[in-house]
This record gives sequence, C-alpha cells and structure tokens, in this order.
Amino acid sequence: MSDQILKPDLEFTKEIIAAGGESLKKCYQCSTCTVVCDVTPDRQPFPRKEMLYAQWGLKDKLLASPDVWLCHQCSDCTAYCPRGAKPGEVLGAVRKMTIQEYSKPSCLGKMVNDSKFAIMLFAIPTIIFLFELFIQGHLTNGIPRIPNGQLMSYSLMFPPTLYIDTVFVPLALFATFMFYKGVKGYWAAMSANYPTPLKKGVIAPLFETIREILTHSIFEKCGVAKDRSTAHKILFYSFIGLSITTAMAASYIYVFNYSGPYPQTNIIKWIGNISGVAMLIGITMIIMNRMKNQEKAGVGSYFDWFFIVVVFGVGLTGMLAQILRLANIAVLGYPMYFAHLVFVFVLFAYAPYSKMAHMVYRTTALVFAKYSKRS
Amino acid sequence: MQKKLALYICKGCSIGESVKFEKIETVSKNKMKVPVVKSHDALCGTEGLEMIKADIQSEGVNTLVIAACSGRVKYEEFDFPGCIVERVPVRELAVWTQEKSDAQLAAEDYIQMGIIKAQKGDMPEPYLMETVKDILIIGGGVAGMQAALQSAKSGYQVVLVEKEAVLGGFVGKLHKKIPTVLPFREPLIVDVDLEPTIKSVESNPNIKVFKSAKVEKIEGQPGAFDVTITSNGTEETVKIGAIILAAGWKPYDAKKLGHLGYGKLKDVVTQIELEEIAKKGSIARPSDGKPAKKVAFIQCAGQRDANHLPYCSAMCCAASLKQAKYVRQDPDAIAMILYKDMRTPGRTEYYYKEAQNDPGVMLTKAEVSGVTEGPDGNLYVEMKDSLLGSSVKLEADLVVLATGMVPATADDPVLNLQYRQGPGLPDLELFNGFADSNFICFQYETRRTGVFAAGAVRQPMNMTEAQDDATGAALKAIQSAEHVAVGMSVHPRAWDLTFPDPMMTRCTSCKRCTEECPFGAIDEDEKGTPFFKPGRCRRCATCMGACPERIVSFKDYHVDMIGSMMKSFSVPDDEDEPRIIVVCCENDAYPAIDTAALQKMKLDPAARFVTLRCLGSMNLVWLADSFSRGVDGMLLMGCKFGENYQCHFAKGSELANYRLGKVQETLDRLQLEADRVKLVEVAIDEYGKIAQMINEFVEKIKEIGPNPFKGM
Amino acid sequence: MQTSDKPSRILVIGGGFSGLTTAVDAAESGAEVIIVEKNPYLGGRVAQLNKYFPKMCPPVCGLEINFRRIKTNPNVTFYTMAEVTAIAGGPGNYDVTVQLNPRFVNDKCVACDACAEACPATRSNDFNFGMDKTKAAYLPFNQAFPQQYVIDAKACKKDCGTVCKEACKYDAIDLDMKAETLILNVDSVVVATGWNPYNADRIETLGSGNVPNVISNMQMERIASVNGPTGGAINRPSDGKPVQKVAFVQCAGSRDENHLAFCSFICCMASLKQTLYIREQTPDAEVSIFYIDMRTPGRYEKFLNQIQADSKVTFIKGKVAKIEKKKNGDVAVTAEDMVTGDKVEKVFDMVVLATGMEPAGATKALPGVNYVEGFAAPDAGIFPAGCSRNPMDVSKSAQDATSAALKAILAGKGR
Repeated sequence: MSDQILKPDLEFTKEIIAAGGESLKKCYQCSTCTVVCDVTPDRQPFPRKEMLYAQWGLKDKLLASPDVWLCHQCSDCTAYCPRGAKPGEVLGAVRKMTIQEYSKPSCLGKMVNDSKFAIMLFAIPTIIFLFELFIQGHLTNGIPRIPNGQLMSYSLMFPPTLYIDTVFVPLALFATFMFYKGVKGYWAAMSANYPTPLKKGVIAPLFETIREILTHSIFEKCGVAKDRSTAHKILFYSFIGLSITTAMAASYIYVFNYSGPYPQTNIIKWIGNISGVAMLIGITMIIMNRMKNQEKAGVGSYFDWFFIVVVFGVGLTGMLAQILRLANIAVLGYPMYFAHLVFVFVLFAYAPYSKMAHMVYRTTALVFAKYSKRS
Repeated sequence: MQKKLALYICKGCSIGESVKFEKIETVSKNKMKVPVVKSHDALCGTEGLEMIKADIQSEGVNTLVIAACSGRVKYEEFDFPGCIVERVPVRELAVWTQEKSDAQLAAEDYIQMGIIKAQKGDMPEPYLMETVKDILIIGGGVAGMQAALQSAKSGYQVVLVEKEAVLGGFVGKLHKKIPTVLPFREPLIVDVDLEPTIKSVESNPNIKVFKSAKVEKIEGQPGAFDVTITSNGTEETVKIGAIILAAGWKPYDAKKLGHLGYGKLKDVVTQIELEEIAKKGSIARPSDGKPAKKVAFIQCAGQRDANHLPYCSAMCCAASLKQAKYVRQDPDAIAMILYKDMRTPGRTEYYYKEAQNDPGVMLTKAEVSGVTEGPDGNLYVEMKDSLLGSSVKLEADLVVLATGMVPATADDPVLNLQYRQGPGLPDLELFNGFADSNFICFQYETRRTGVFAAGAVRQPMNMTEAQDDATGAALKAIQSAEHVAVGMSVHPRAWDLTFPDPMMTRCTSCKRCTEECPFGAIDEDEKGTPFFKPGRCRRCATCMGACPERIVSFKDYHVDMIGSMMKSFSVPDDEDEPRIIVVCCENDAYPAIDTAALQKMKLDPAARFVTLRCLGSMNLVWLADSFSRGVDGMLLMGCKFGENYQCHFAKGSELANYRLGKVQETLDRLQLEADRVKLVEVAIDEYGKIAQMINEFVEKIKEIGPNPFKGM
Repeated sequence: MQTSDKPSRILVIGGGFSGLTTAVDAAESGAEVIIVEKNPYLGGRVAQLNKYFPKMCPPVCGLEINFRRIKTNPNVTFYTMAEVTAIAGGPGNYDVTVQLNPRFVNDKCVACDACAEACPATRSNDFNFGMDKTKAAYLPFNQAFPQQYVIDAKACKKDCGTVCKEACKYDAIDLDMKAETLILNVDSVVVATGWNPYNADRIETLGSGNVPNVISNMQMERIASVNGPTGGAINRPSDGKPVQKVAFVQCAGSRDENHLAFCSFICCMASLKQTLYIREQTPDAEVSIFYIDMRTPGRYEKFLNQIQADSKVTFIKGKVAKIEKKKNGDVAVTAEDMVTGDKVEKVFDMVVLATGMEPAGATKALPGVNYVEGFAAPDAGIFPAGCSRNPMDVSKSAQDATSAALKAILAGKGR
C-alpha cells in the first residue's frame, strides 16, 4: 500500500452529509468513539477512521469495507462524542449509501430514499391491486362472500394462486436476484480492496454469522441504546415467524390443497398471530427508543423512517385486517386487507433498496469480516 | 543623617526561654556603644510598639535594631517612617533552628551583626538626574500602534519608528483576518480594517511617527536615552525615557524548504504569499493562473524542526483554517490541511470547530515528507504516518507552506544600543532569538533596563494577543520612566532608592564590573574607566561583588558593611566546634531558611547566616578576611543557574560560582583547602534540604580539620 | 502615570497570580490598589503548584518577590478571607461591597504554632484537595502569606476554640470575630478570580471518583510538592505505593462539549512537567501520555522535545475514554493508538487526569460583572485579567494582568 494516491471527493462527502451525516465535519479525530464502542474489534477499530474517510470523501475506503456494517448503531459513540459529530448517524448514512451503491438499478435506490417519490412507490402496488380488483369485476360488482352466513373472505377478494402469487412470486424473485447482484458486487469490492488474497472457506464464517444474528450477541453489547437490541430481536424473530407462516401457507395451498381462511386454532394462526403481535410490539419499541434517545443518539434519517413506517404499516394493517374479518366488518376489512397488500408489496419490492436490505448487506459484511479475519 | 541607635530585644516566641539578655545588653551598651537597649516580652504587641515609638519621639532614636523575628514578617508593625530599621531574625536563626544550648551564642552573634549593619548603613538617597518620560516605540505594526495609542492616552509623548513606508506591519499585508470577537460564526473571515487605527496613530498630537525610518543608535540610560533616528535621509536625535521594542517578525526563509518544493515548483507558496494571491480576488495558481481547486496546507513547514525553526509559531494552525476559507470561496474547491498537531489553544478551539465544519475543509495529522511534481504538472504531497495511511500521496494544484515566524531580533540587534556590552539584547539564544523574558512571573523583563519588548518579537503570537501584549508593555515603559524620574529602581527591587556610588579615584579600570553587570549598566570612557549609568542599574550590586578594589558602595549595602558583619561572628577556639559562614541570597535561599525555621528544623550550630541582595554581590575579600580570622568554611547559597536560571538578577549565583573558580589563588596564599568554600544552588521551596546541605558541608569541614588561622 | 494626575483607585478581585501582578504593576505606576482575596492567603492557584513549566522553578519564588513589592509599597492594601458581594456605580465611581469573613485570629498572631499544637479538632485540608488533614487551627501552608493562622469555625466545635485561645500567649485568637462589611469606592475594578479544576467526577468514562488511583493533575501537583500530603513522594493514594507506571490522560473534560468545550491551554505542558516530576524521582518509572493534539505552542516545543527524548516516556495519539479498576489498586486505561490504528488497553499504577480549567465565573458569578460561558468579559470600568478571562498559563497571565493594570488605570484617569 506504499504511496497510494488518495482521491478526496468533495461530492461524496456532501452526499454523506445529505444522507444524514450532517455532523460529520465536526469530528476532530480524538477517537473517543472507537474506545467507547463495545462492538468494534480492537484491531483497526471503527468508527473514528470512518469519520475521517467520510470527511475526506474517500468512497472506496468506506463502501468497499465491511466495517460500517459491524456497527450496530448502539450510539454510544454519538453520546460520548466531545464535538457532537454523531459517528453513529454518519455510519448509518454510509450504510445507506452502501445499499444504494450496490443495489441495482440505482434509480430505484434513489427513489426509495427520497420522500418526493414516496407516493409513487405506494402508487405502483395500489394500481396493480386495483387492476386486479377491476379484472375480477370486484370494483363494479362488489366482493362476493362465503355463503355460509355471508362471511368475509380475503381469498375471495384476491384468490391466492392467481392474484397473490402471480404478483408476489415474481416480486420475490426480483428482490432475490437484485440482492444477489448487490451482494456479489459488494463482496467483489471488499475482496478487491483487501490488501492480501483471501482463501479461507466461507461456510464456517457464514454459520458463525448466523449464530451471531440469531443470538444478537453483538447487538447486546450496546451501552447507551440497550433497549434497541431487545426491540430489534423481537422484530427480527417476528419476521422469522412470519416467514414460517408464509411458508406454511404455501404448503397448505400447494401441498395439502387446503385454502383459508383457517380457523384460529390452527397452528398457522398461532404462529402468524404471535409473530404479527411481536412485529407490532417490536416496531413500536423501536419507534419509542428512537424518540427517547434522540438527544444522545439522533433521531435517524428518512431512510430509517421509511422502513419503520412500512414495517409498522405491514404489521398494523395485517392485524387489523384479520380482526375486521373476524368481526365481519367488510366495509373496513376489505380496504384494510388491500392496504396490507400494498404495504407488503412495498416491503418486498423495495427491500434491496430500503433499510430492509441491511439484513443482507450486514450479513454479507459480517461473513466477509470473519472470512477476512477482521473480527 | 545623625544616627541614634537603639536595640530592642524581643523575648516572645520562646526567645526568652532560650536566650539570656543581660550579657547581650551589657555588651551592646558598652562595647557596641548602643545608647538605648531595651527588651520586651512581645515587641510586636501594642505595648512593645508604643515603647519604640516613644523612644523615637522623646529620645530621638532613628536607627533601630529589632532583635526579634525575620524581616519577612511583622513588616507593618516594625515600619517606622524616617528611621533605619534593621531586623535581626533571632527567633528564626538563634531559637527555632537551634538547640537550646546553642541559642545564646547564636543570638549574641546575630544581634552584634545587626548592630554593625545598622551602624554602617545609611538612609538611602535617590539618584536624581534630568529625565524625560517620552516613550520610543520601535515598530509600527499592530503591537507598536497599540503601545503608542495606550501610552499617548496615558499622557505620554510617543515617538514611533517604522521601517517601512506605511504603518500596519504584517497585519496590513493580510487579505482578511480571523474575527476577534467570540462566538465565531460565519463569516469566519473578516476585513482587516486597520485604517482607523493607522489614522488615529498618525493624527494623534502626542505621537510623532517616523516612517521608512531606522533607529541608528541609542545612547544614555532610562529617563535620558538619546535616540538617533534616520528617516528618508534625515537624521534626528530625540530624548527618550523608556523604549518599547515592537519590531515584529518576518516569515522563515522558505527557500530553505527545498524538500517541500519551494523555489522549484511554482505552485508551492507560503502563507504570506497566499495572502497576496487572495488579495487579488480568487485563489489562482501562480504557474498558469488557473483557479486552484485542490489546495494542500502543510503545517509546521520548517517549524518544530531541529533543522529549521525548533519552535512552534503558535498562530499558523488558525491561519491555515482562515486561509482554507479563502479557498472555499470557490464552492468546488477543497482545502486540505496536513498537521502534526492542531494547535488552537484556549478558545481558539471554537474557531477550529467552526472553520472545520465545511465539507471542503479536510484535515489529517500527517508528517509531510515531500512535494513532487507529476507528469501532468500537478503536485503530489507525500505523507508518512498520516491518519489516512502510513505512506500515501495527495494530489494538489496548489501547496501552501505554513512557514513560521522569525523575530526581528533573530539576526539584527534592532536597538543599536551604544552599550559596552553590545548593541542588542543579551541571551536571546535562550529564546530562539525572541526578545523574551526568562521569567515566567515577570514578562517584559529584558536585560536592558527601560527596554520592554511587545508582540511577536517577544513571543510567537497572534494579532489580538499582540495588542494585549503591547498594552502591558506600555505600562511597563511608563512605570520605568516614572521610577527613574524619582531615582527609584525598577523590578525586581522596585522599592529601592539606593544606587551604586563608586569611589572612582581608587578604580584601576580592571573592567570586571563593566563585564559582569547583568544589565549592561556600566560603560567605559575612552580611557577604559567605568562609567556608571544609574538609570540602567537594578541594584543587584554585582559590581560590588566584582570589584577587587572594593570601591562600589550603596548607602545601605557595601563591602565594608558586610565584611564587618562577617567579622563580628564568634569563632570558637574549640577545634570540635567549627564555624562556617553561610552566605545566602535574600530572595530565595533566605526565605527557604525562614521556612525551615517555621517548621522548627534544626540547623548545625556551626552555621552563621549572612544575607546578600544577590549572590552576585559576593566579594572575594570576605572570604580572605573570614578565613584569616579562623572561620572554617564558607557556604554560598544561591539560586539555580544555567539555562533555566532562577536568579532575579540573571547572573548572580552563576557569577559567584565563576568567581569561586578563581578563589583558589587566595586560598593557596593562605595555604587553605579549596573545599572550604562551596556554592550550592537552593530554590525557595528546598527548605527541607537546607539542614542536610549544611550538615554535609560541616562534615566536610570537620574532615579537613580546623582552620589553622583559628585563634591567631 | 504622570505624577500630576490624581492617582487611580483600583480594586483587584482575586489575590492569585494575576491579581497580584495587576496590583503590583498598577501600584508601581502610581495607582492606589486594594486586593480582595477569598482565601486566607494570597497566591491563589499557583500557590498549590509544585513547579512551573518549563523552567521547573517553584512558584513561591516569584510570589516572594511580589509579596515583597506589596510589603514595601504603601499604595497596595489587601484583604484576605474577603468576598465581593455587590458592585454598584460606574467607571470613576464604583462602590464595591466586600464581606470580610472572620479569621478568628488577629494580627497579633506570630505563627508560633501553639494553637495548632493544642487544638483538639481536625479538618480536611482543602489546600491539598482533601488528601490529608490539618488541625482546625492551622496555617494554610508553610509558605503562606500573610503568615497568620486561621481557625476553621466549622471544624472547631465545642471547647475547641477555648483550648486554642488558651494556648495563645499573644492574645491573637478572637472567637467573637464577626463577618464585617466594607464599602470601597474605586475608579475601576479588575476581575482576577482565576479558575477551578474541572470536577472530573462528572466525566463518566474516566473513572474519577470511583476507580481508586485516578487523580487530577492538581492533586498531582500537591502530591509532588514538598509541602504536600506525602512530603513530595509520588505515591499513589490507595496504598501509598511509589508509582512505577503512570498514565496521563489529556483533555479530561477539555475540548469536550459535554464538559468544557474549549482547550484549557495549560494541560499539555502541565502533564509534561508532571512527567518530569515522576521521571526525576524514580529513574526507572514509565510514563504514558495519551493525547489528541500535543499543544505546546512557541518555546514550549523545546519542553516537549525534552520529554520526547526520554525513552521511558511514551506518547500515544488517542483520547482515553475508558478507565477501569484492576486488582491490587491498578488501573486499566483504554485508547486507540491512532498512528497504528489499534485499540490498546494498558495497566498502570496510577492515572493522572489532565483536567481542565473552569473559570471561577462558571460556578460563582460576581454581581455586576458580565460573563460569557463563565469567562468574565470587559465592561466600561471592569477589566478581567488572567484565567477569569481566558484559559492561559502563568506567563500569559502575567502579561495579561499587566495589560489589565493599564486599562484599569486609564479608566480612572482624569476623574
């Protein structure tokens, strides 16, 4: 690495500032942040050096490094920073930019992160689902009911195989593909930026990472924002629960040819409901923590809040749709389910570009860090 | 003054328990011929003081020997205006530091010594000469102008000499300055706006300004300097009372910084050159006039560097932050500041924070190893140990070197004093050429009385600091002019009305006094005869110590007086009871002894203490006289000397030490061992070591054996 | 001043280094000066220092000269144990109300120590930051000026006072002394109230107050002083063990918006100086200095170079933000060594926090004086000097105080 020529990039610094790192120029390199950070490795710790790279606009050093993802934004650094430079916020901004950098097409990334496009992002699924209602004639004839007591049924509104899966299966494939491309690009960039060639196997680091994620072992080291780990854990397991629910639903339909609505005593309902409630609890806790810690840790950016709102929307509309169905209040129930689908669409379709992507990029970075013996 | 002596002995503070007074009283009255001898249980109490006052009024007593406690305490109580008061610290030296069995003899010795001192001394009379109080200021920069305005406002006539054709100095050459008022908010660069100051200096009827001028020579002494000024071909001599040296600084010669590309690469400039570039409007590269988009600032260029300037100029970090703002007037341009340590002390830290809070101002710690030119004509700054990498390069289209301040006095005496000891201020190598004070507690003190330095010629400083500094220097100049007008000394003996009064008929023109005077107060006439300039004198009496003919005297301090005091000490006949005289400086060693006494630390009974104004006034004749009457050893306690000397008269203890080097001859003549004389350095807080120092010396003396002159 | 003028009358609040300098310089220029000092002695903060940087000379040396100038100059009067309670009026005519707190010992005191010997009660020694005790009848320190004892009424309860009084042969103890109020009419006022060490207990990460053997730099001055609690032996407080490995933690509270946002100016030089105390006392002792920027402006660079040349002294660029208790009284310090870029934990016998200076105005503002963030600001006839105005070292205080003297004189001129 002798006599490497550095390329300070004023525009990149400005981008980080615009992305939520507006305090980054206050840093005067004392490294209080790295010392109070309980998450960073001791060798080449963060976030002090990242703050300097951000100040100099050294894009490669920030976006081709796993380090920003090792940060779990506990915000101890922000709380103890003597200059109010908020390293936690700055690293959050850099993570967002990492997602935008590697998730293609990048125009989608920009849109997800720009409040101007919020209406449009929601308009896309709204139009798709309205179109589905239209071709089924529901817009003109109304939604039929289960004759047995004239009960509501969301399967009658959108029959799963034709009207749900034809939208969501391609969507999932799209998101997965985009994630794959993003991860591949990120991995390649990190490898290229690494000073020595890497050989070790990826499997062991991957399993170690998964173990860490499942136990939240890193996140639990957080000081100032300790509650965040618990909230995140609840939300994280709710997502797992909901994934299991989705997988079970698919097997019910395609394997056992058993379609809903399922009785509340069915195991799928148990898992689904517990997960749904957990999701709401988790996301509410996250919102409350952010409000409570905003003094010390910062309130977060649009990027964060877009994701929070979407998750909250998914959870809330999902639970309400179910309650309204059970209460058989069609006039509210059907619009609620519609809204739920829109939120779920937004969550999945934009996952590679929204904060949702952190699960993939953070995992990638953690694996790379272990693979490269970083941590 | 017709003296009438009185001895008052205090019995308080357990003096009465250790000392019997009958004998002392008899000896004082009969042998010492003291007309009034009285004692009291507590002399400092109302009754005791009334007794003394009554004697002054009714008996005409005017010379008092107070045998009680140290003169450092109860000074208000024992202050009798119009009287000579000699304090004999019986309590400290004979009682608190002595075993009871030794107290009596010590008290007798010290009281006798005090009586002799009172008998030999006289009331000070000031040296009065015709003086002026006008103030000369050398240098018309911000410091000089501030000093001029403040002096004029205080009612003094001022002569201001500026070498250039306009006033303003370096500040006048700046494009913009750092705001002087907190808090620092945008805009972080403001107009220098020096015109109003220049105007008020030039229009002030009490300030006479010489521009394009030089001080050719300064003759005379404080209160009566003759200053010859040349300006535009004319020469004028003015009478001056005190001088403020505010000659400022110049940038370090960047041509010596070839490794940073200066002189070889056109786009490597100094901070001062960047000011000139910025004044033209935008930051353009000197090589091709293109706007500079990537500007690297190399801090400490030729500073903090043993090969160049070893010191830090203290203002360059803030100056580069300011200049970064020049660069940032172009929103696409970046300023990269490469520092060793960012030095924005005190509340300048706030400026650092504000100036840095700009996406285009980038900073890193780095050791810049060189600047090279790439094939594209762009510059590359090579850095080691930077926070951005251990060995990295930065591309720049303009490189600015923060070269440091070189004081005007570094290679030019500026003052051109017509003093025997030379034209400039001595010892400046201790301060890297700055006209600084060696004393932490006493700024502005130079070794030329009546000359006070201010601003960047004194220490590296910024313009606000220089203005404050100049205000202080103005006060010191005023103080000096006023003191000399009434014949009073200045710091550190600012109360002293005595002056050296040599008996010139006995002078052999040996020049020791002229060479040794720490303040250059003694010139020589054409024949080489010393010529005392009392206005320059600080009353340390180094000349008195230097003179082999013993001709230099002060009214209350002279060779005979101290010699007689030393001769008054008892010299026990018993060979097991040596007698040593401890000669100590009154500023540090004596207060340390006082403190030891307060702690009731016991000192060897062999010791008898004599205090001097400064060890520099130690005359070798005292050694010869003392040894010839059987004194076994002499221990000199002076201040620390060397580079960080603590002597308030700069050279006192060092000169005493130097003279001891030559004492061998005297000792040889007496066939005495060189070890009978020793100098130790004692600081005022080393009271705990005094006993040990004396013990060690007494042990050494015992080892050598008794002085063969004893009893002769 | 021109001798024809009527002398300016100046009140100097604070008898520390700056106040004394202003007073002496103004008085030697013909002004009439009154000093009011809240402590029972003059000398202020510097009286607690062992040595000055970079000369390593004792502060009492310069104080001695200034005291002598006060003693010999009829233009200076001073009050100790005195506090300003109100300032009214304007330039040329200020009425300053001063409360004189009772010392319970009058001018007849001869400092014979009899009262202290007899005194049955003790008090925590504030001069040594509570690291030892004195009797309730005490001399603040052995080189105190004025050399006059004090009785701490809070500590001297019940018959303690009577015992002390009976021990005094000179009728110097007056237990009936009451607080008095003076109104002083002056032309101008100089505020030289100085600074206090920042309370490091407020810095959560640095262990002060809960990790033994973490001390402040001012405590270090007292420990190293020959008239300090250990007689100058640099031993750690918990067990009195002579220190072999010491860390200095720079910017402990300074340059930190959560504490003191400014740089306190003196701490870098102070730690270098204290490094010398240790290195001169214990030839094989090791010292580590953790810093953000070493700030040794001007000639102080030479002082830095001197310490850097010592192979037993290590400089680590990186602020300490974690201090933990280890076994046997040892202390662990964590920082990032920014030059290598690695986080390091090192264990020391003792840790010295280079705590900064909090201007006196931040904790106790004088009525009638303007302050900005605790620093006194100049006003028509009120002039701040020294550390009450800006963080500075002793030599800068001397310069600043001399400058303030002229400003104060001019404010009273022609009135």
